[in-house]
Amino acid sequence: MNPRRLIALAGGLVLAFLLAGHVSTAGGPAAADVLDPVLAGDACTSILVGRDASTDGSTMTTHTCDCGTCDWTWRHVPAADHKPGSTRRIYHISQYTTWPPDEGLKWDLVKKDFTGLEIPQVARTYAYHHGMFGYMNEKQVAIGESTIGCVRKLQNPTPSAKLDLSMLTLLAMERAATAREAIQVIGSLAEKYGYGFHDDGEMLAIADPKEAWLFEIMPAGPLWTPESGKPGAVWCAQRVPDDEVSVCPNESRIGEIDLGNKDFFMASPNVVSLAVDMGLYDPKGGKPFSWKKAYSPAEGSAVSTQGRRSRMWRFYDLVAPSRKFKPETPNMDFPFSVKPDKKLSVQDVMALTRDKSQGTIFDPVLGIRGGPFKNPHYYRGTRLISVPNVEYTSLTQCRSWLPDPVGGIVWIAFGVQDTSCYIPFYAGASEMPKSFQVGDHFVFSRDSARWAFDYVDFHVQVAYNAAIEDVKAAQKEWEEGALARIAEIDRLAAEQFKRSPKEAVKTVTGFSLNNAQNVVRAWWKLGDDLLVKYNHLSLYDAAKRRRGRIPTADPDWWNKAVRAFDILMEPDKK
Amino acid sequence: MNKRILAGLGAFAALGLALLVAGQALPKAGLPALTTSAGQSTDVTTLNIVLDEAGIGYDYCDVPTAEMVADGVGLGGRESGPGFHVEIVTDLEKYPAGTPYKAVILAIGASLKGMGASGLTLDSEESRLKKVIDHCKRNKIFVLAVHIGGESKRGPAGSDNERMIDAVAPFADYIVVTKDSNKDGRFTKLAAAKNIPLTEIEYALGLVDIVKRVLQ
Repeated sequence: MNPRRLIALAGGLVLAFLLAGHVSTAGGPAAADVLDPVLAGDACTSILVGRDASTDGSTMTTHTCDCGTCDWTWRHVPAADHKPGSTRRIYHISQYTTWPPDEGLKWDLVKKDFTGLEIPQVARTYAYHHGMFGYMNEKQVAIGESTIGCVRKLQNPTPSAKLDLSMLTLLAMERAATAREAIQVIGSLAEKYGYGFHDDGEMLAIADPKEAWLFEIMPAGPLWTPESGKPGAVWCAQRVPDDEVSVCPNESRIGEIDLGNKDFFMASPNVVSLAVDMGLYDPKGGKPFSWKKAYSPAEGSAVSTQGRRSRMWRFYDLVAPSRKFKPETPNMDFPFSVKPDKKLSVQDVMALTRDKSQGTIFDPVLGIRGGPFKNPHYYRGTRLISVPNVEYTSLTQCRSWLPDPVGGIVWIAFGVQDTSCYIPFYAGASEMPKSFQVGDHFVFSRDSARWAFDYVDFHVQVAYNAAIEDVKAAQKEWEEGALARIAEIDRLAAEQFKRSPKEAVKTVTGFSLNNAQNVVRAWWKLGDDLLVKYNHLSLYDAAKRRRGRIPTADPDWWNKAVRAFDILMEPDKK
Repeated sequence: MNKRILAGLGAFAALGLALLVAGQALPKAGLPALTTSAGQSTDVTTLNIVLDEAGIGYDYCDVPTAEMVADGVGLGGRESGPGFHVEIVTDLEKYPAGTPYKAVILAIGASLKGMGASGLTLDSEESRLKKVIDHCKRNKIFVLAVHIGGESKRGPAGSDNERMIDAVAPFADYIVVTKDSNKDGRFTKLAAAKNIPLTEIEYALGLVDIVKRVLQ
């Protein structure tokens, strides 16, 4: 190596050090842990907030539906009465399978995958809103999700397992009036008819206006048959204390369990015995049974995984900085839940879903990682809470002081949270916009609401740190605007509900649809505006009809980094 | 219908299935055996659990080449790494490293996610399978093809799953499928056309008795 390159290399290292601000332990791409069967799935973060941990008394759940090729459509399913003796068909629903739009819509086409199983129908099924999972029903039962994986021998991809997770959440929406009922519906059906097929270890955040539960379920192995008389699943649920919050970042969260404490624990009858039968727990080993250690062990910390498993630490550090949680702490040693330093508002939870670990050792724009415009999506070494491949994020609120159709709200943000906008839908809303029900990753469509948000996101990537400010202004306008209107709609609809529930439903439906339509329209326009404003990597001021320079373009540190790299890459002179 | 009657019917059905399988003259392969996937779906995990349940030791490799199969038990001392997984559960006292395999068992089922993790495409997976099966044929290694994933591991002609079936099933010495996998009779027709013995089972559990009888 010639002396100039050596100097450049040394200079480059110093520059990187200076730009980084400190030594980062998150350097380099995350080591692919291909042999780790438990953390095979690494998508979706779910947050849970107890009612006394929120500023307004809501319980809250979230689901960042992280995928990249999955279906993003949402539907409303109306309530229905059923004749005695009628049955409910069970379909296999893969979280990942989609079809080209010209073949039809996912929620019609899944009916082609009939399992052959029809279960007794209940007299009345509740109305609900669903996307990939059921999220909110008319009784304010709310759900969020995160895949957690399980030990290999529990997986059951065979046809003996009739129920997948998506189907179970739809059944819970149809049949449950409380979180505990939802847990019982899901657990008992999975035990009876077998759980797995497309899914294995899964977590659900299940809430109602009073309680938030963290529910986890695993199949019972591929050799299970319904004739065995044994449960076709193993499950466990732990309630988040009312004044605490919890999170599931694709990792099992339930440790030791106390089934005598029925206010805080629920489980299938085989919760311990299956682990003993499968050699996953030795009751004579002198250690208490731990659900996660038996069924879904995952060693490692944020630091030891180079940031690949940093979401656990990040969440706890964000909500309870006074506890000084350390990124070196193994994730399995984090507490099940924590009391936040400050109670969380719905906007705080929105911000949590938008988090990209900036300002931490896992900062994706640390040093030169984000390029000249500090784009957090270039560097993929750290697994953030907010990732570019999210389909949508749901944020549910259940509010005990309001009648159910008014108290429940599911906020939906299509696409990446940082460039998207949360759109509220009341539990009582009897419709979803047409634009929410269509769309696909592979065919651009102006009829699909989701594409409006991708349209903005795409244009933000060009000059991220400048364009994101335009988006933040729009988010402030529309999200704060919706919150202000919700306060009015709550009062109006609650009054109407006393006289006529139908009138209240009309009000919350009208608001939800109208707001959604306005936000989608605003985001299409925002995308157009961003295209014009940052065209040619310049700044086009439409009001003044002037072309200028993007203030954040060409930072000095970036030019130095490029210079150092150029020298480093110069061919050796003979 | 009360639980006792249901349990009785279940036991009766299980007994019937066991007698049905027991009554069949199954082909004999012998040990040692190698398990692998045709299409990298998780069905190979089920296959391995079936062998565990049957108490049969085996070697497992997710993406063996013909050369690796030729190396026999222990697969030449290769170790797992990114995109490559090996497990040696074979009884090495009985079948020392290097002992030629007598059977290769392939769990058919395509998973683009699984193939991606192993750095494979459908084309390269087909090519790999062809070479492995050619090696087996040349060296008289018994090829057992199993399809236990049901309808989710099937599809229209030319789809990922059907291509994996085409790559393996017509060249097998014996085919075992679940009823759900064979609803359209594709395996029955294929087996009849190629004169390959075929057994239909209700659940993966039915494979336990079969592997005991075929391999031991």
